[in-house]
Amino acid sequence: MKVAVLIKQVPDTTARISISGGLVDEGSISKWTISPYDEYALEAALKLQSESGAKVVAITLGPQRSSKSLIDAAAVGADELMHVLYEGDTGSLSLQSALAAAVRKSEADIVLAGKQAADTNSGSTAPGVAQMLGLPCVGLVSEVKVVDGNFVATRSTSSGMERVSVNGPCVFAFDKGDEELRRPNVRGIMMAKKKPIESLSPADLGVSMEDGGVNVESVGYPPEKPAGQTFQGAASASEVVTKLREEANVI
Amino acid sequence: MGYEALDFYDVDSLLTDEERMIRDAVRDWVDESVIPKIENACREGVFLDEWRQELGGMGILGAPLKGYGCPGLSYTAYGVICRELERGDSGIRSFASVQGSLAMYPIWDFGSEEQKEKYLPKMASGELIGCFGLTEPDYGSNPGDMVTKAEEDDDHYILNGAKMWITNGTIADLAVVWAKLDGVIRGFIVEKGDEGFSAPEMKGKHSLKASVTSELVFQDCKIPKDRILPGVKGLRGPFSCLNNARFGISWGAVGAAQSCFDSARSYAMSRIQFDHPIAAYQLVQNKLAWMLREITKAQLLAYHLGVKKDSGEWVPEHISLAKMNNVDIALEIARVARDIHGANGILDEYPVMRHMANLESVKTYEGTHDIHNLILGRHITGIQAFTREA
Repeated sequence: MKVAVLIKQVPDTTARISISGGLVDEGSISKWTISPYDEYALEAALKLQSESGAKVVAITLGPQRSSKSLIDAAAVGADELMHVLYEGDTGSLSLQSALAAAVRKSEADIVLAGKQAADTNSGSTAPGVAQMLGLPCVGLVSEVKVVDGNFVATRSTSSGMERVSVNGPCVFAFDKGDEELRRPNVRGIMMAKKKPIESLSPADLGVSMEDGGVNVESVGYPPEKPAGQTFQGAASASEVVTKLREEANVI
Repeated sequence: MGYEALDFYDVDSLLTDEERMIRDAVRDWVDESVIPKIENACREGVFLDEWRQELGGMGILGAPLKGYGCPGLSYTAYGVICRELERGDSGIRSFASVQGSLAMYPIWDFGSEEQKEKYLPKMASGELIGCFGLTEPDYGSNPGDMVTKAEEDDDHYILNGAKMWITNGTIADLAVVWAKLDGVIRGFIVEKGDEGFSAPEMKGKHSLKASVTSELVFQDCKIPKDRILPGVKGLRGPFSCLNNARFGISWGAVGAAQSCFDSARSYAMSRIQFDHPIAAYQLVQNKLAWMLREITKAQLLAYHLGVKKDSGEWVPEHISLAKMNNVDIALEIARVARDIHGANGILDEYPVMRHMANLESVKTYEGTHDIHNLILGRHITGIQAFTREA
C-alpha cells in the first residue's frame, strides 16, 4: 500500500506577514514550515506506515524553497519525496491538476492532506484533487486506520464522532488529530539528507498552469480593532448590558 | 509572540542544512517541553525524567561521538544543540553536557571495547545517565591534588574519598570517577548500587535548580578490575573531557543570552512609562544595543571555535577564551535584562532572573572565569600563575 501526503509549505504561524502591492511579501517571511493540518495528515500516514506497512510518499508543489518541507517530512520517516517545482502564481484549479497528476504518477492508493492550508485557508485542495482523480473525499478526518482491507476514518461531526469506512482509493482531508506529532530525531535528519527528491515541472506531468480557475486577486490586513470602551461605576451597568446584548451579541 | 533568536549577522546561515534542522528540532522541543515546565521544575528542584527520555529520543546525547549508537554529529552541531538547550535553561544543557562530554566521552575515548559496548548505546538513548566525579570538597580549581584514591585488592579496586558539585550524581546510573592509583590519576566507572558508593543530593541551591547536584561518597567502595579506563593516565583524562564540555558551554551561554535579550526587547517594547514604551528611551536602547553587540560577538566566537574544533586546529586556550567570554557576557546580559524588566524581572513569569542565577554557576563551573584568564595568561607569557610554586 502506498499513501500520498500532500504537503504545503506556508509561513510559520508566528512569522510576521507584510503585504506589498496587494500580495504577501514573501521576502519578509523569516520562517517557513509545513502547514499544520498537513502535519496531522503526515502523522496519520506515518502511523499507516508503522501499523500497516504502508509506503509514504510526500508530495509538495511550490518554489525551490518548498523542498525543505519534503526534507522535514523525510526526517520523520517519509519514504519517497516528490516536488512539483513551480515558481509562479496560479489559481487553485491548476494547482489541483498538477497535484492530481503527481499523485497519479506516484501510484498511491490513498491521499492524505490537510483540510486547509494555514496561509490561504481556502480548503479546496483535497476535494479538488479528489474530483480530478475521480475519487471520493472524506473531510475533517482525525484518524485513518486499515481494518479488514478497508480504510476506516474517524471524523468529528457537530454532535460527536463519526466513523466512516471506505472500501477503495480515497482522499482524506485532515483536521487536527489527537495524535501527538512526532519530532524528528538526529538519525532521521541525517537520513533525510541522503533521500533523493524527484523534482518535476508541471509540464513533465502534462499539466498547464495557465487555466487557474480561482485566482487570488489581492490580500489585505484585517480591519483594525476599534478602541476599547471603558465604563465605571454601577450606574453604567445597564448601558454595558445593552451593548453586550446588542453590539457584541454575547449575552 | 514566539521566541525569536537574535542573529544580527545571520551567523546561522554558516551552518549546514542538517545543523539548521537539528537547531529547529531542539528549539521546538525546548518551546514545547522545557519552557512550559521549567519554572515549576525549578520551584520543586527537580530535573524531569521526561527530559531525559526525550533528549535520548531525539538522539542528541553524546552528539559529536561516532559509533556505539552515538549520533556522530559535528562539534558545531553539538554547539548548536547546547545553545538551544540553554536558551531553555542552563540546567537542561548541563544535563546534556555532563552526559555527553563528561561521562560518555571518556568511555568513548579511553574506555575498553567492552566498556564502550556496554555503556555507550544506552547512554546515547538516555536509558543510562552518567555523571563525572573530579571536583572534591577541598580541590576545585586544583584537581591535581585530589585525595580520592583507589587501591588494588585482589580482583577489585577499593575506592575511598568524596566528590562534590557533581551534576546528575544522584540520578546517575554510572559515574566516571577520577582517583589516584599509586599516586597517578586514573578514571574508574562506578555503578549505582556498587558496595560502598552513595550519592546524596546537595540541597539549597539558588542556581541550576532544575538540575541535580550531588556529592559522591566512596567508603571502601569495591569495583571490579575491568572498570578502570585503560586508555589514559594523569590529568589529561579529565581535562580532555572538560575541553569538550567547555566548548558546549561557550555555545550554551549564547542561548541564555539570546533568551534574556528576547525577553528584554519585548518587555521594553510593551512597557509604557511616561506615555511611551520604555524602548523609546535612549538609556534602554543603549542597553539593548550593547546586548546585541555582545551577543553577536559571542556568536561569532562560538561559531569559529566550532569550525576549529571540527577541523582539529584548536588548542585548549581557544576554548578557555570562548567559555570565559561568552559566560561572562551572558551573565551581564542577564543582569541588564533583569534591570530592563524592572521589578517584573524578579518574577518567574520572565526567564531573566532564572538565567542570571544559573549563569552564576556556569561562570564558576568547568574552570572558573579567573582560571581561564590564568590559562590565557600562561599562553601569552609562558609563565604559569596558578600556584606560587614553580
